[in-house]
Amino acid sequence: MKLQEYTSSRHNFEECMKCTVCTAYCPVMQVNPLYPGPKQAGPDGERLRLKDPYFFNYALKYCMNCKRCEVACPSGVRIADLIQSARIRYDHTKPKLRDQILASTDLMGSLARPFAPIVNGVTGLKLTRGVLDATLKIDHRRTFPRYSGRSFEAWLRRREKEQSAFTEQVAYFHGCYVNYNYPKLGKDLVKVLNALGVGVKLLDHEKCCGIALITNGMSKKATSQAIHNVEALRKAVSAGLKVLTSSSTCALTLRDEYPELLGVDNADVRDSVMLATRYIFERLEKGATLRFKPDYHRKVAYHTPCHLERMGWGVFSEKLLRSIPGLEFTSLDSACCGIAGTYGFKKENYEASQAIGEPLFEQIRSVDPEVVACDCETCKWQIEMSTGYTVENPISLLADALADE
Amino acid sequence: MRFDTLIIGGGLTGLVAGISLQKAGRSTAIVSTGQNTLHFFSGSFASLKEAPQPMAELFAEAGIGLHYSPGVRLMPMGTFREAELSLDDVSIFSTSPFARRVLVISFPGYHEFFHPFLVEGLEKQGIYCRVHMLDLPELSRLKPATGEMRSLQLARTLDTAWNKLVQEIRLVLKDEDTVILPQVFGLNDPSVPGRIRQGIPAQVVFVGTFPPSIPGIRTQILLKRRFEVLGGTYLMGDQVMEAHVHDGVVHSVVTRNLDNHYLEADHFVLASGSFFSKGLMSNPMRVYEPVFGLDVAAAEDRNDWYNPEFAADQPYMGFGVLTDSSLHPMVDGRPLKNLFAAGSVLGATRPELGTGAGLAVNSAFAVADAILQSDTSIR
Amino acid sequence: MNPREFDVIIIGGGITGAGMQRDCAMRGLKTLLIERSDIATGATGRNHGLLHSGARYAVNDPESAAECIKENRILRRIAAHCIDETDGLFITLPEDDLGYQRTFVEACQKAGIDAEVIDPDQARRLEPAVNPALIGAVRVPDGSVDPFRLCAANMLDAKLHGGQVRLHTEVTAILRKGDTVEGVQVRNRVTGEEEIFSAPVVVNACGIWGQHIAELAGVKVSMFPAKGSLLVFAHRVNNMVINRCRKPSNADILVPGDTVCVIGTTSTRIPFEECDDVAVTPDEVTLLITEGSLLAPSLSSTRILRAYAGVRPLVSADDDPSGRNISRGIVCLDHETRDGIKGFVTITGGKLMTYRLMAELATDLVCRKLGVDKACETAETPLPGSEERSYEQVAQKIWETPSTAQKAAASRLGTRASRISTGDSREQALICECEEVSAGEVVDAIERMDASTLTDLRRRTRIGMGTCQGAFCACRAASLLAGSPGGTARERADLANFLQERWKGNFPIGWGETLREAEYTQWVYKHVLGL
Repeated sequence: MKLQEYTSSRHNFEECMKCTVCTAYCPVMQVNPLYPGPKQAGPDGERLRLKDPYFFNYALKYCMNCKRCEVACPSGVRIADLIQSARIRYDHTKPKLRDQILASTDLMGSLARPFAPIVNGVTGLKLTRGVLDATLKIDHRRTFPRYSGRSFEAWLRRREKEQSAFTEQVAYFHGCYVNYNYPKLGKDLVKVLNALGVGVKLLDHEKCCGIALITNGMSKKATSQAIHNVEALRKAVSAGLKVLTSSSTCALTLRDEYPELLGVDNADVRDSVMLATRYIFERLEKGATLRFKPDYHRKVAYHTPCHLERMGWGVFSEKLLRSIPGLEFTSLDSACCGIAGTYGFKKENYEASQAIGEPLFEQIRSVDPEVVACDCETCKWQIEMSTGYTVENPISLLADALADE
Repeated sequence: MRFDTLIIGGGLTGLVAGISLQKAGRSTAIVSTGQNTLHFFSGSFASLKEAPQPMAELFAEAGIGLHYSPGVRLMPMGTFREAELSLDDVSIFSTSPFARRVLVISFPGYHEFFHPFLVEGLEKQGIYCRVHMLDLPELSRLKPATGEMRSLQLARTLDTAWNKLVQEIRLVLKDEDTVILPQVFGLNDPSVPGRIRQGIPAQVVFVGTFPPSIPGIRTQILLKRRFEVLGGTYLMGDQVMEAHVHDGVVHSVVTRNLDNHYLEADHFVLASGSFFSKGLMSNPMRVYEPVFGLDVAAAEDRNDWYNPEFAADQPYMGFGVLTDSSLHPMVDGRPLKNLFAAGSVLGATRPELGTGAGLAVNSAFAVADAILQSDTSIR
Repeated sequence: MNPREFDVIIIGGGITGAGMQRDCAMRGLKTLLIERSDIATGATGRNHGLLHSGARYAVNDPESAAECIKENRILRRIAAHCIDETDGLFITLPEDDLGYQRTFVEACQKAGIDAEVIDPDQARRLEPAVNPALIGAVRVPDGSVDPFRLCAANMLDAKLHGGQVRLHTEVTAILRKGDTVEGVQVRNRVTGEEEIFSAPVVVNACGIWGQHIAELAGVKVSMFPAKGSLLVFAHRVNNMVINRCRKPSNADILVPGDTVCVIGTTSTRIPFEECDDVAVTPDEVTLLITEGSLLAPSLSSTRILRAYAGVRPLVSADDDPSGRNISRGIVCLDHETRDGIKGFVTITGGKLMTYRLMAELATDLVCRKLGVDKACETAETPLPGSEERSYEQVAQKIWETPSTAQKAAASRLGTRASRISTGDSREQALICECEEVSAGEVVDAIERMDASTLTDLRRRTRIGMGTCQGAFCACRAASLLAGSPGGTARERADLANFLQERWKGNFPIGWGETLREAEYTQWVYKHVLGL
């Protein structure tokens, strides 16, 4: 390469023209005056941090990692990656017990699942929420996802034989939510894929993708889980399998956060990991067909989760939903719902979280759909809690619209 | 994924072309690296006077008010420029001086509006000026931790608090016939500037601020919304990395986000902007067009790219891709049959189409017309 | 006492003049400093900003080396807020003679410089940006120094000791009665106002331009103008100074300074007439990038912010044999003994590193002439702002949880940051986002540090020195400067000058991101703002 033919910098921070466009699209900046905003926290701050880590600003923790700044940046600066990797490099404060608990989604899931009815009952109690608020600073107004009595893994394992009977197979990274809280989504995906003639396999022991660990300052643990997961992905991919997720955030983490934030190389498997809606769209595009109920009718408003927006794959979910006969489709304006995973659970973020989501909630109320569609589980909790509307993954809507065999 | 037309670049050019095509029933996708230079829009369409019929229609349908009359407009540094077709936010004056006594409103701690220069410019015209720094409790909330009060934060607050502002201004207004306000109104609610004009018993003039431009962002929001309502697909935050071209025909493009999922179309429009937007790129050796490797009109010797005087016209700003008479850009002198170039990626190679925002709109319509007139499929 | 009468008038607001004024003022003299432009506009502000350990001179000029290390230690003590104690490496590349390393280390040790040979592996660990192909490395106590800050702090201290400063004021005549210099005639370059000041001693501290001032006094000092060009990269690639361990040559020092790093220099003799307007040529740019990439390979793909050049104030040895008598590069001429002109002193040569010593030598001479017997204290007394060793300590003392902008202010102003800390939210508003400079800091520079133009502000606060090169901060700061009566019209012209001055350093490296930024700046000022 010739001298100065190309220039490069960490997460492209030197491509920043200082144009401030990112600050127009940062949801946190609009509600939290303590947050310096993506430009200062990202590329501006990076120059100072390179001079001396002392210039690291702890207010970077207010970043939700929604990555809307990156979507807006005209210059391709990976602003959120800059912010998150600065936190990883320079913030060595030990995470609070509360954050450790919130981040350990798989541990919590495996502990809570066997006692699901009790746990659900207890976390639903006003008293419990009051105690959690007072002791752990988990906001008492927040409702908790319910735990399922039987894990998705256990369900699918019992159908191993039936699934391997299909001539084609995919592997499914179901994530913690499907496994512990909402196996129905996983079952819906299996139903749709089976209808396409594709069987579903589990990965060889998946662990939580680790996004909550990253944002809660536990990058070491996140890295070890990433290494484990990439190994599991590799096994599946080398067996010729695509690996699907039904959660946009899991997909983003496996594909992009591993190499960009944790430095875990996934180059050989990255292209094989995809959101289920993209996979299904591509199958249909190549000629596969699905049979839908003739009398289906549903009014659906689609919300693109921030991380899906960043991946640029909302178009697959949207086009898939639009292709369902009888589905009345409205696209909601691109906006953050405010939850950002564990962010909105924290007492100190509750107000900001709800204020960020308000314009979206307002639009949902005015559209008044039968159901809101969305590819992210935490958006689902937030929207359901804040608006009372039911939220379903596009996969579930697809499964629901399929003609019965 | 397949479309009738795929447009690379989601700024003014891409959106105007996209809306025109989508309106005519052609399925259209726009791939945009991120937000665009509409965020720095002055509010006036350089080189355009009256809006051509399709433009007037398209903007009206998107909810964007345009106007023109012979005269001058007031610039943020207190200078005057000949009026051009403008957003309704921009006042055009046909008489000089346009006012006798002016009340200039700004906000304490707000550094994006240059009232000293404005006042000096107006006083030169014999206009009496009084500056009032207006403090609303709603605004003090914006300042603390980051110490920043920028146009966007102001605009967001004033979208809802504008009526309070109007009341305050009515209180401080004495015998002035004109009130000057920074252009920080109507970010999400386009009706706000009009309501302010109605609420203040004097001529109200909105003057530009340091970018980002609030009227510009609003224009972007409204045009994009219009495109999507018409069924267009806008891929925001994605970037075209390369194109598949065979025998002078573009078949598909590869984007960063969609990797091996190629985007196919019958027609392609390159509306990727100039250097800022990376429609053109440069290194010490050359200026080039990064997606298709198109022929570029640019000086060979780097020393000829610049004028050492900042204030002079800069040669590099005239560089652009070379096109045939139908706006098809070329590789090694051979036009790509189903690719069109529009907007500032053309640089100054097509002076008959105008400059700046005028070039964007003129070339966008020219390209949309050409696509609509050609066979649906030339492949 | 007549306000136009002084004990000593110092001409030249570079580091030598500022240091000299501080020394004179601390010794109780009534001083006036006259500068035709702004502080640090000449060679002072146009070099690497390298806090030499002296190692670079150890082999060829041992006396300079010994001086450097002595002053290096003094500056760490008295100018903490102007200095970054980075340490430096002298690396040997495969194409260099490793044998030179031994000569080099021995010479360093002789000069009193700690030079430690370290393993190439250790060098790669200490400084990950270093060319990994290195075959040898020596660690030395190099560092970086901000010459603008150093100059401003010296001048500020002189003012605190009663000194007076006239910036943007040109000396039009040196007034003589017979063979005795009695004062100067000056003209304010902004207002055009002319004035006369008198003093029994006038000091010529004008660096390369001293040749002209000497002519005004009727004596001849011949300078040897040597242009040196440098490039500023947009962020710190390295955190230690990187030098080549070989005979000093072109572009073989890479210095991390504040938020950027600087590669230089070249060396070309130029005619004296060109000293006021030196430009960096394309060949020099290529040479700097090529050689720089050998020190730190990432420079070949790092965004460049600007190119600039300075003129070294070397005294021509040929027709000035007396100058050589004063060794170590410092030239202190008593024109009474040399030319029979009483009351006129020239202090020149030398380098940024030895400014304090130069000031001390010249002040000693002035004091002898005035019959003042007071010892120099500049080596012990910290400069204003440097009372604490580190900016961490400074910031922690002022703010409970300092923001990034407050930390940045502490790093620029040292303990003086406390003076801007009490400002209300209006003063905390950021004017420059790249370097995090607040309105309060800008106002401080205007009110207490004699800044009257945007370029003056740049030297004192770093506005316009960051990534956007002034695109965003210039008009904000101009609005603050426009406050005084008639200020707006002047500021309009000043803004145009500032943008021109920034562009001058941008276009020689105008490609890639720099060209994008330039295009954006053009749009904003010409089409959006209507300048």
